[in-house]
Amino acid sequence: MKVKVNDAELELKAGTSAIDAIFAAGYDVPYFCSQEYMSPIGACRMCLAKIGAPRKDRDSGEWIIDEQTGEPKIFFFPNLMASCTTAIMEGMVIDTLSKEVKDAQNGMIEFTLVNHPLDCPTCDKGGACELQDRAYEYGAGQSRFVFDKRHQEKHHALSELITLDRERCIHCKRCVRYFEEIPGDEVLDFIERGVHSYIGTLEDGLPSNFTGNITDFCPVGALLDSTSRFRGRNWEYDHTRSSCLDCAVGCAITIDARTGRIERIKAARNTQVNNDWICDGGRFGHEYVDADERLKTPLIRRDGKLTPSTWEEAAAFINDKLADLGAKETGIILRADATLEEGVAAKALAAQLETGQLDHFPRLAASVIPQGVRATLNDVATSDAILVLGDVSEEAPIVDLRIKEALKGVTPPELMPHGVPLADLRLKERMPRQREILTVASPYRCDLMKHAGSTLTYPAGTEVELLASLLQAANGEGEISEEAAMRLGSSPEQLNDLLKRLSGAKNPVIIYGAFVLAASEASNAVQALAKAVGAKLLAIGPMANSYGLEALAVLPSHARYSVQEMLRGSAKALIVSGLDVAKDAEAAKALKELELLVVHDSFANATTELAHVVLPAKTAYEKEGTVVNLEGRYLPLKPAPVENGQSEDFCGLVKFLGETMGTRLEGRSVRSARRLLKKRLQLDLSELSEEGYLSPAKAKAASKFKLKESYELEGNLLLTPSMIRHEQLSRNAHLHAVYGDAALRLNPADAVAQDLNDGDVVAFELQGIERQAVIKRSEAVPVGLMLLPALPEQPAALLWLEPTKLIKAAVAEVLA
Amino acid sequence: MIELETIRPFFEDKKELLAEILNRYPDYGRRSAVMPLLWEVQRSERHVSEARVEEIAGILGLHATEVKGVMSFYSTYHEQPLGKYHLQVCSTLSCSLAGSDQMYDWLVEELGIVNGETDRDGLFSLQKVECLGSCGTAPVLQVNDVYYERMTRSRCKEVLAALRRDELPEPWLERGGDNVSAEKAQIESES
Repeated sequence: MKVKVNDAELELKAGTSAIDAIFAAGYDVPYFCSQEYMSPIGACRMCLAKIGAPRKDRDSGEWIIDEQTGEPKIFFFPNLMASCTTAIMEGMVIDTLSKEVKDAQNGMIEFTLVNHPLDCPTCDKGGACELQDRAYEYGAGQSRFVFDKRHQEKHHALSELITLDRERCIHCKRCVRYFEEIPGDEVLDFIERGVHSYIGTLEDGLPSNFTGNITDFCPVGALLDSTSRFRGRNWEYDHTRSSCLDCAVGCAITIDARTGRIERIKAARNTQVNNDWICDGGRFGHEYVDADERLKTPLIRRDGKLTPSTWEEAAAFINDKLADLGAKETGIILRADATLEEGVAAKALAAQLETGQLDHFPRLAASVIPQGVRATLNDVATSDAILVLGDVSEEAPIVDLRIKEALKGVTPPELMPHGVPLADLRLKERMPRQREILTVASPYRCDLMKHAGSTLTYPAGTEVELLASLLQAANGEGEISEEAAMRLGSSPEQLNDLLKRLSGAKNPVIIYGAFVLAASEASNAVQALAKAVGAKLLAIGPMANSYGLEALAVLPSHARYSVQEMLRGSAKALIVSGLDVAKDAEAAKALKELELLVVHDSFANATTELAHVVLPAKTAYEKEGTVVNLEGRYLPLKPAPVENGQSEDFCGLVKFLGETMGTRLEGRSVRSARRLLKKRLQLDLSELSEEGYLSPAKAKAASKFKLKESYELEGNLLLTPSMIRHEQLSRNAHLHAVYGDAALRLNPADAVAQDLNDGDVVAFELQGIERQAVIKRSEAVPVGLMLLPALPEQPAALLWLEPTKLIKAAVAEVLA
Repeated sequence: MIELETIRPFFEDKKELLAEILNRYPDYGRRSAVMPLLWEVQRSERHVSEARVEEIAGILGLHATEVKGVMSFYSTYHEQPLGKYHLQVCSTLSCSLAGSDQMYDWLVEELGIVNGETDRDGLFSLQKVECLGSCGTAPVLQVNDVYYERMTRSRCKEVLAALRRDELPEPWLERGGDNVSAEKAQIESES
């Protein structure tokens, strides 16, 4: 469609909004309520423009011609139009520069400022505030309002994470719409009406995993991130665009640091991955980085005590010890969120030490790289039949949002010259959702089930059986019996419907996480099922770079050299990065026997207690590097300027060790690692775009899955993935205030049977690891099952725990 | 020991009424029932407590916040129990010009309560409201569902005295500027 914006003529697709036409033409209008990825509602009346269009004669069907110019006559709307809710028409003329429009903008700014406190000098948003900028650009500069402004609460804690200043709010409704449209939980609304209205909630502290996003797009300083309140002004922060390493999605984030501290994390845009959203775990989980007890210098154990030292001394110390050991006797363990570059460094070091004892952890039984057609996150968002196996809302929260995007049936918007459309007219408030396309299966009732058309709570550990039954039916090798379906908490109709839906869909996707990856039979079955019904696969690995490290083969040369074996005595020296392996009592025993234990970590823990050398490690926010997310997308990491003393990543460790050995190892720096990766991948990672690079799928023929006779997956305690990183929770004060200590969730009936009450603290040993948890009764958990958050050292699995072994910890001096 | 009173769900023994209300709307528009449900509670309990808001949210599968948003938008729903006689003074332009402010001030003085309050005995509640659609016969006082039009000081006193005797006076309706009785107004409006 031809549109004319002021003097610019352009050709745009039908359905584009007038505001996007204006921006596409390179002009500007102020707006407060429009927001990318959300419905346009025309609430703020700021984007007013004079809009007209030619008209056709009803009888002749010809354009009505202006007699003076001989051109089609432009009929203007009688009033100025909100350009965000107006769709373009053929030959539309949009005027944003006339005096009429300017006067309207002046007037609207004046109205908006009537009740705005103008406390910009003490407002955190000052300098980055849309209202401030727009008032400066489009306002008259003075107000005629001489009466008292409205006074409301200025420090209202919506939750421990978000503070609301009700005076500053300009009622644009972005936050209210966000909760209904994006996570689909309407936990925020306008209370009262007219001049009295304010943003409020009846829910206790905003129960959603995605609350922090409202602080990003609030156009004024009304909604603020409590972790960064009064910490700095926007222009004082160093903004670093990087990727979040809290789960396998790898959302784009902006790290705002000031004087060596991370003050806040904001969502950045990646149209392929997370749109504009991140979860609360990723946003608020950064406080540990600046904890006082952070390790900042290398430490060497001398006379039984760890004493401060330098990297050179530490490297020399390690080298001396290693020289006494033979080949194959040193083990190297990386955490699964180490970067590709660190993986290269670890491999080079292992090669230098002639050892095959190299592994990353947590690593589950099955491969995180699906054999079959991989799904991207945009495939998920455009899918017309989705089967979810597991609790994605906790495991990879953004996948949850992308699924909800698919339920709206609106494909991700096409990019305009100015980026994502500001007003996508296909989106509406309270859109009907096509819930029927979504099936969620999980061993307990999970959050996403509220949004699913079909839900299935199967007994924990029966993943293989469930997938095998589906596969059999899909291959026409046998009907699903009533009895088998019953055992799986389902019915033959439900499972057949699911199969019909998957095989009948154009773009079906199967998403599976830790519960399936924990058993290779289940993983094989899901891949065979996907092949049978023509679905794409999205596997959620345990950590941010599980995919990349597996693809790079940071793996042992033999099964007898896996992490578990290394921690049971297969190595005489160990270099452990980022994992508190000594949590496991049996491993701790083996670690004590080692000739050399080198621990590369950011904080002291049980393993550093046993270490001969402790080396300070960079956190995820300080590293430069690359990770590969669950889709197989290479994503860049950029270091934020954080005061971390002499901390180094694993590349740095390898550099110092190599120097003392007298060699220059591959991966001694990020640059050196990238040189090697460039040869291997034909991809220059230093030139990776912000949106990353999707690796071409390597399709391998999946071998036909044979059913095993018996399944040994049994247990009563399920270790579940969670959005919150529990290993750092005690140092993340704000998150801890909201989510509390790790919870042991169980059905109220079981709790009564064990005489356990909400809030009871229990201590118990789980496979050698001492765990402590707070009892939380929950109807979401089936009778006979307990749920406990997994740890990096204790990934998702189904285990046995005698309920009688739950020992109530003394509530010591709580009341005193 | 503190005795905790359990709140019985309002619609527990009103299954038929509930079904009738829910049946008015198609399944995808279930949330539309929020208004009639709120009104049932308001009419019978003279206010809608937070527990009732949560109950309605539960019935309709909404968050309580959403129900509260609707409820607080309308001045007909109240968080606190209303008095037996709910005095509503129109304070929009026509009534305001015709002296509703003085009427309000007088009521405040007489009753000892201000806008939004209920007196100690639970007899009177006073509220300023927006246009009651009776501008031609301003100022208007609405008591519960009854209009008293073209109010003067003496009529105010009369109405208040009757209410204090626990009698709700006949509606005071006026048409065309002549004081007419309720019956006559009825006849006129029918003809």
